[in-house]
Amino acid sequence: MNQVTQTRKNALSLFEQTGLPTTSNEHWKYTDISRIEPLLAESVEEHVSIDASAYVINDLDAYRLIFVNGILDEEQSELPQSISVLSLAALAHSVSDEESEQLAKLFEVSGDEPLFNGLTALNAATASDGATVCLADNAVLDKPLYILHLSNQNNVIRHGVMLGNNAQAEIIEHFVGLDDARVLSNISTNVILKDSANLAHYRLQQEGLKQSHIARVEVKQMRDSSYTLHAVELGGLLSRADIVVNLSEIGAHCDLNGLFVLDGRQHVDHHTRIDHKAPHCSSRENYRTVLDGRSHGVFNGKVVVYEGAVKTDSAQSNGNLLLSKHAEIDTKPELEIYNDDVKCAHGATVGQLDDKQLFYLRSRGVSAETAQELLTFAFADEVLTSMGNNTIRRFIEKAAFAKLPHSDDLKELLD
Amino acid sequence: MIVIKDLHATVGGKEILKGLNLEVNAGEVHAIMGPNGAGKSTLSNIIAGRDGYEVTSGSITYKNKDLLEMSPEERSWEGVFLAFQYPVEIPGVNNTYLLKAGVNAKRKHLGEEEIDAIDFMTLVRHKAKIVELDPSFLARSVNEGFSGGEKKRNEIFQMAVLEPSLALLDETDSGLDIDALRIVAGGVNKLRAKDNAIVMVTHYQRLLNYIEPDFVHVLSDGQIIKTGDKSLALELEEHGYDWVKESK
Repeated sequence: MNQVTQTRKNALSLFEQTGLPTTSNEHWKYTDISRIEPLLAESVEEHVSIDASAYVINDLDAYRLIFVNGILDEEQSELPQSISVLSLAALAHSVSDEESEQLAKLFEVSGDEPLFNGLTALNAATASDGATVCLADNAVLDKPLYILHLSNQNNVIRHGVMLGNNAQAEIIEHFVGLDDARVLSNISTNVILKDSANLAHYRLQQEGLKQSHIARVEVKQMRDSSYTLHAVELGGLLSRADIVVNLSEIGAHCDLNGLFVLDGRQHVDHHTRIDHKAPHCSSRENYRTVLDGRSHGVFNGKVVVYEGAVKTDSAQSNGNLLLSKHAEIDTKPELEIYNDDVKCAHGATVGQLDDKQLFYLRSRGVSAETAQELLTFAFADEVLTSMGNNTIRRFIEKAAFAKLPHSDDLKELLD
Repeated sequence: MIVIKDLHATVGGKEILKGLNLEVNAGEVHAIMGPNGAGKSTLSNIIAGRDGYEVTSGSITYKNKDLLEMSPEERSWEGVFLAFQYPVEIPGVNNTYLLKAGVNAKRKHLGEEEIDAIDFMTLVRHKAKIVELDPSFLARSVNEGFSGGEKKRNEIFQMAVLEPSLALLDETDSGLDIDALRIVAGGVNKLRAKDNAIVMVTHYQRLLNYIEPDFVHVLSDGQIIKTGDKSLALELEEHGYDWVKESK
């Protein structure tokens, strides 16, 4: 048995010991996954081929990886020549013993990791495929890598991203549901950034309104590396993401930006955890939610500053706009600090639109309805302004805008 | 233009305006002066239609219509403009977009066609010059990160674009240094015309050195207690508000 198979077997045992998280677990208090439990028993059905062109972000100039129900569709993918992007399934079959040892690391899970739960182990044990992206030292990916995940069946995917010293890349993960199937995605993305590496990471979840999405993003950062995440949640019935960033060496920096635009009975829960383990690291976090209908948002952002992590600079903010009296947000920014030489700020706001701003717009001739829509859009858009990729930003703005209440008067905003 | 008759108004149950009378005609510039707490800002806010003010009796007739029946946006479409004392910052809402939305909503209300995009930009650039507003401000979010003086200049710029019939300037001079005051006042003077009216609400006489009023009113304890020409402002400066109250 090669190393990969053994490691995945261990992950399965870990899952069997742990089981699924329940609402009695503090981190799963607001997210009850008992209703998705039956989905775990359903096996992957027959292979379907789907034309991805209707789902890709069209005007995006990027390399493409297309996954259909958890399997890479090589025909529709376009891989860069210069770097290694390999299908995990193919890799696991063809590797030598030595390579197997390396790859096995991608499947290692430990019950001691922050926000570990049974689904984390289950992902490592049962992932059918994924992308392994390796950039050598000083390599710069000349175009973004766009990974589209299409699904109408259960799918379990595990990606691994490793950027060498000074390497740079932009990776866009896009999740789209093909129909109204009641299925589950379990996606794990594991990132290692070596010295001064720089990764811009986009996660856009637009699955079907009966789909459930479980995600884990784990990032380990070395000296002076920089990681930026833009996590946007628009689709799905239930979506949970655990984002775990480990600033393990001096001078590392991360930015976590999140936006939820929800309505109906959608439920989205993000738990983020940033570990400041080394001196002179900085982190910024900005999450915004706009909740309509009977939707439910959960944000839990925890920053831990370790004893030796002097000169830590951390700021976190979370703004929530409730458009309906039936919408609900549970927000909890948490800060644990174990040394005195730090600068940390955090805060959360929950509210409706600002009366002064509404009156100002109306006094300039903007109708009450348009003024409300304009301010709602501006609130959501604020978190997108830090996106470096304008094509993605426009795409997300349009998708978010379509979900927000809007009249014809406002369309011009996006011209 | 506007006729205010025996206006009584309360804020949070407390009576602030206690029988105020005022008539302003087209082509006139009025200054309403008074000590803090006299009701100056209450009057501006009521005319612009802000929530939280209750008119208990009296009337405001604007262009022969009942102003108090109109929503804030309808008042804007009909030509009422308030230059705010403290303009609010609106991150994410573009300054130019706001004005275009305002101009087009007004045109729609008046049954006119929407403004051509190029004509609009020409208009906006021309008006920005009047208040010496750097064109880079046009692309920024409304008032976001503007200094106090820039915010006031932006108010007068918006006034220039929206071309109101009745402009209320609420403490427009507060927080301005002399240079900024000269620019803002210069902008207002260029907008004076025989078919519009301007009402300045101010605590100090300073602004009136730059924008010369036809009438000066003294507002005290919710009523206009004295009306005169610009010389009244100078007397107030010299003797203080108590002098008017005593000589009433």
